[in-house]
Amino acid sequence: MQNINHFVHAYKIAPWRIQRQWIGNILLAVVGLAMVATLYLYVTARAAIAGREIQELTASTRASQHASADLQTRLAALTSTSVMEERALALGFEPIKPGKVEYIVVAGYMAPQPMILSNGPQPGLRAPSIPPEYNQSLLDWVDEQVHSPYLRGGLQ
Amino acid sequence: MRQQYAWRSKFLVSLLVFLAFLVIAQIVRIQNSEEAAIFREPRYATERKTFYPDRGDIYDRNGHLLAGNQTVYEVGVNLNDVKDANAIAMTLSVQLGVDYAQTLNNIINPPIPDLVYLIVAKSVSAEDAVALQQLKLAMQEQALPGTSGSLTGLEFTAHPQRDYPEGALASNIIGFVNREGRGYFGVEEKYNSLLAGNPVQVLVPTDPNKAEDIPHIPDGTNLVLTVNRDLQAAAEETLDGALSTYGAQGGTIIVMNPRNGEVLAMAVTPRMDLNQFWNYDVVYQNASEFNRAISVPYEPGSVTKILTMAAALDSGTVVSNTGFLDTGSILVGGVTIKNWNEEAWGQQDMTGCLQHSLNVCLAWISTQMGTQIFYGYMNRFGLGHLTNIDMAGESAGRLKVPGDEDWYPVDLGTNAFGQGVAITPIQLLAAASSIANDGRMVSPHILYSMLREGRQYNVPAQYAGSPISSQTAQTLSNMLAISLENEASLALVPGYRVAGKTGTAQIPTPYGYYDSTRTNASFIGWGPVDDPQFMIYVWLEKPSASIWGSETAAPVFSEMAQKTVILLNIPPDQVRQLLVLK
Repeated sequence: MQNINHFVHAYKIAPWRIQRQWIGNILLAVVGLAMVATLYLYVTARAAIAGREIQELTASTRASQHASADLQTRLAALTSTSVMEERALALGFEPIKPGKVEYIVVAGYMAPQPMILSNGPQPGLRAPSIPPEYNQSLLDWVDEQVHSPYLRGGLQ
Repeated sequence: MRQQYAWRSKFLVSLLVFLAFLVIAQIVRIQNSEEAAIFREPRYATERKTFYPDRGDIYDRNGHLLAGNQTVYEVGVNLNDVKDANAIAMTLSVQLGVDYAQTLNNIINPPIPDLVYLIVAKSVSAEDAVALQQLKLAMQEQALPGTSGSLTGLEFTAHPQRDYPEGALASNIIGFVNREGRGYFGVEEKYNSLLAGNPVQVLVPTDPNKAEDIPHIPDGTNLVLTVNRDLQAAAEETLDGALSTYGAQGGTIIVMNPRNGEVLAMAVTPRMDLNQFWNYDVVYQNASEFNRAISVPYEPGSVTKILTMAAALDSGTVVSNTGFLDTGSILVGGVTIKNWNEEAWGQQDMTGCLQHSLNVCLAWISTQMGTQIFYGYMNRFGLGHLTNIDMAGESAGRLKVPGDEDWYPVDLGTNAFGQGVAITPIQLLAAASSIANDGRMVSPHILYSMLREGRQYNVPAQYAGSPISSQTAQTLSNMLAISLENEASLALVPGYRVAGKTGTAQIPTPYGYYDSTRTNASFIGWGPVDDPQFMIYVWLEKPSASIWGSETAAPVFSEMAQKTVILLNIPPDQVRQLLVLK
């Protein structure tokens, strides 16, 4: 029994055993830090990519709006009074004379009304506020926790 | 053996620790350097950016685009990147038509010292810009590996520019926008703030990790005008034809709805292609010429007799069958006033006075009313006041009243038939709307509705009081219709009963007398008399074919009215009465 105790004691105080314990602890800390750093880097990269995508989509939206405006203006030019008159004359139409107009009663006919360009309120275009979880860095979060009133109160 | 290599391990570990320490020390040093401290300051943490909204569109009442935006390109040269100035100058000269020698000289010897970016053309069309960009890419592909293409340095910046698809149509109503984005004249100036929208300044974080809420920038307000594009085109065509037929130097035609003051068409001369607004100085001598319908007051002559008669009827000074013996002249304020043909017309009633446009009769009526009543009515009709039509550059005209330094007693007589008073066409139209609209005077306006953020706000009709009673208005409308029918006026419109009055006004000279050889010919009328749906004002300046409004402006009114009833779908009187009976 005494021999066994000696063996165990010798095993515990063996230099290589203490070294391994130190190495293990240090490695554990390094791995922990690496995991936190990796997570931080991942989240940061995702946030940066998302920010860049937002910029690109915003630019794309503006480009689409401008393209739409360009097309609308071009269509208006193609259907302008002078162009339409030329086309009508080329197709054999002629301006109507008052004596040639024949008025007939059409049941349910509604006279043309001025332009109504809106069908009512459209959904708001404003993006919802982005919660802090999506734009707050780890350091910002730690800083907020340190400076939060609750924690400050707890430390007093 | 292990001990033998131990020093090597210790040396290696020490070296690595030392290097790691150096790296950390460098990081700490950089972090705490003065340069880093500057970047940590709040002013460098964000960048202030200004976002400009797109300018709002302008439509006619049926949704036809009158003013929109189109992407154009600014073409410039980044002087630091230029590899072949000659190639750039030659290409721009061929593609854009710029001066080769000047462009080459500006690239080699910039006009301003230390100039980095040279603007060559500001408003290049998308087609030309794309062609240039493709040429630049082709040059780049042909360049030797590792070298730049000969068009390197040529740069393109897209930006929206105002575009007017209808060109010169309704140019006097719309106005234009200059390169700096500011509206001039017409609706573009009057509603510049609404159309331009509000630029938004945003603090954008320089740190890409800090995603920010996207700022929503509302575009400028879209405007829908009361103008009917087709009617406007018809009015301009009619006016241009009238100028050619009657040899007039200028002209104006306004079509308005007398029930609510909506201006349906407003044609003037001259007009300009709004897409070439830089030609403004070439087309116009001064700003008031841009829209003579609202900016140029003139002595309209006999068309104002309808206002004098309205005042006399409403005040009870005369009734429609009041008799008047016309002797061919009348003395007012010590000055003899004569008729237009200087003849006596004998016994007349009030309809006859209007039918024959007798100056003597109307001068007598105004003296019967007296200054207080006469000028009180003219004031209520809005003479000498702005109508506040929503277009830039309106003139108030001038109505001299007793007490003014330049008012003389004879003015009471001459003002009664439109001399000695300066009125714009839109003022007279607004005043006469009280006769066409059962005594209620409308405020003429050009804006039908505004659209912003998906919501449409329709502008309600506004009224400028009731200067005369409904009964007076109906009586006078009937008298004017009879006078046109009795006269077999050229203003009559087949199938429609219309009321109206001609005007032939001599033009005052700077020397204090009237030029008897040149006149302003005018006509104001409305119809159908039993349910007025349009009012038309015609003004021809200095017609050479005939000086008389009855021979020039009156047939123009008839032509315009015939086009108006077709385009506004107004059936002839008989058809309307049949429809009512059904």
